[in-house]
Amino acid sequence: MEHDYPEQPGWVRLPGSEEDPRYPHGADYPGDYRRGAGARVSGVRRVRQASNWTAALLIAGVAATTGYFAHHAPAAAPATGVTSVPGGTAATGAHKPSLSGPVATTSGSGVTVRTGPGGTRIVSYRDN
Amino acid sequence: MAAMGPGYRDWRPVDVGATAVGVAERDALGTTARVVVWPPNWTGRALAAVDAELALLDKQASRFRDDSEISRLHRALTLPADIGEAPLRRSGIVSEGLAEAISVALAAAEWTGGLVDPTVGGALIGLGYDRDFAALPQGQAHEAAPPGPGYVPGWQSVRLDGRRLRLAAGVRLDLGATAKGLGSDRAARAAADCAPGGGVLVSLGGDIAVAGEAPLGGWPVLVSDEAEQQGREPAVHGARQVYAPQEPPGQLVRLPAGALATSSVGCRQWQRGGRTLHHIVDPRTGLPAAGPWRMVSVAAANCAEANAAATAAIVAGEQAVGWLTAQGLPARLVAHNGSVRLLSGWPTAAGGLVKVPATARMPAAPSGRPDGTGRPPEDFSRAARPDRVR
Repeated sequence: MEHDYPEQPGWVRLPGSEEDPRYPHGADYPGDYRRGAGARVSGVRRVRQASNWTAALLIAGVAATTGYFAHHAPAAAPATGVTSVPGGTAATGAHKPSLSGPVATTSGSGVTVRTGPGGTRIVSYRDN
Repeated sequence: MAAMGPGYRDWRPVDVGATAVGVAERDALGTTARVVVWPPNWTGRALAAVDAELALLDKQASRFRDDSEISRLHRALTLPADIGEAPLRRSGIVSEGLAEAISVALAAAEWTGGLVDPTVGGALIGLGYDRDFAALPQGQAHEAAPPGPGYVPGWQSVRLDGRRLRLAAGVRLDLGATAKGLGSDRAARAAADCAPGGGVLVSLGGDIAVAGEAPLGGWPVLVSDEAEQQGREPAVHGARQVYAPQEPPGQLVRLPAGALATSSVGCRQWQRGGRTLHHIVDPRTGLPAAGPWRMVSVAAANCAEANAAATAAIVAGEQAVGWLTAQGLPARLVAHNGSVRLLSGWPTAAGGLVKVPATARMPAAPSGRPDGTGRPPEDFSRAARPDRVR
């Protein structure tokens, strides 16, 4: 058997780690000679292929989901809360508030809207 | 509502039905200033930053304050010219802040083809708008004589070279069409610096600028049809409150960035010679604009531009539709008969997102021209320095 690396003293080669030259890479082995080596090699290959496909599908799925929510953020969704920043810690974009009612008014007459006692809507005029 | 702490006595907390933002109002620049901040913990610092910006702008550009920088330069630069002297004979050094306000006003004049002109100040005074609006007599004749066309020298008669300003004799500046918007822009930027990672909305009498991060879906803003409001409840001078059983008429829109401003002929009205006058003067006639639009709202990359475009649209009349469309500015125009026209990315549905242009349409200020008078300029900027003790 030829090797592309020298044998190391004290190393023990695992059973089935070498391919039989009578049976090329990927071919199955006869049942009475080093049983299981071919199945192990092809099994490892299938697992690797499956892992690659799974990883690719996961990446694609996460990207698609992220893109969808970035473009379809529900405007009227309940507020997710605001970062509490005692002492001056910066807020993060993940905690953006969601506002349903107007927080400001643009008008030629200075109309403003606010909520009064009991949730009453108060419209204030200021002729300015 | 976050505690505002000492030094913010003039600000009134406002309940808008959401605890995720801090909201406060105060009287400023002859109108109402509103600040909305998220997260609300930053409200105190943001209000302090807005206070500083508004106080500085008031000292620089208010023509209703005798001690403002613009009033001082009016007194000094607009004295009648001596016989034989050229009209353009006096110049002065203004503060950087006032220079910016004047340069923005000149840029707006050039951009709008002169429809928004900072030299309408004299015409406004001639029409009776010669003091703070709160001090104007309401609902009665201000003077018996009907108004005549006011003199508008034209924005080209103003020369600004860096901080050096020259005015022709008799020219009075009125920066009202752009100064409030500029104030909103300045205040929003300053306040956003105090709310890292969060967002700020600043409204000066409905001229709205936002900075930082917008809430999910954008800042909800009500574009109010004030004439319908006044139809329900007769307008009287001064602030009043009406308990409304439902949302006031208008349209709720969402502003993701930039600015939103409204100009209207339905406010700041006064009587003279049996005629109802308003504060938007057509520089071509020297009289209040008489176009088909009662109210125009425009969204733009910054509030000075939005305000200038809205005012220009009122003055331009029918031509405003083509001009706003060519500029690609989202706009909502309300005619005197109540019909509404939406342009260039303004949402049709209630609660829709306004497609605000990412870049400014208004070009930079016109370049300054050489003075050539040879006179040493007087420094008027001392009046606006915040550290000056009076």
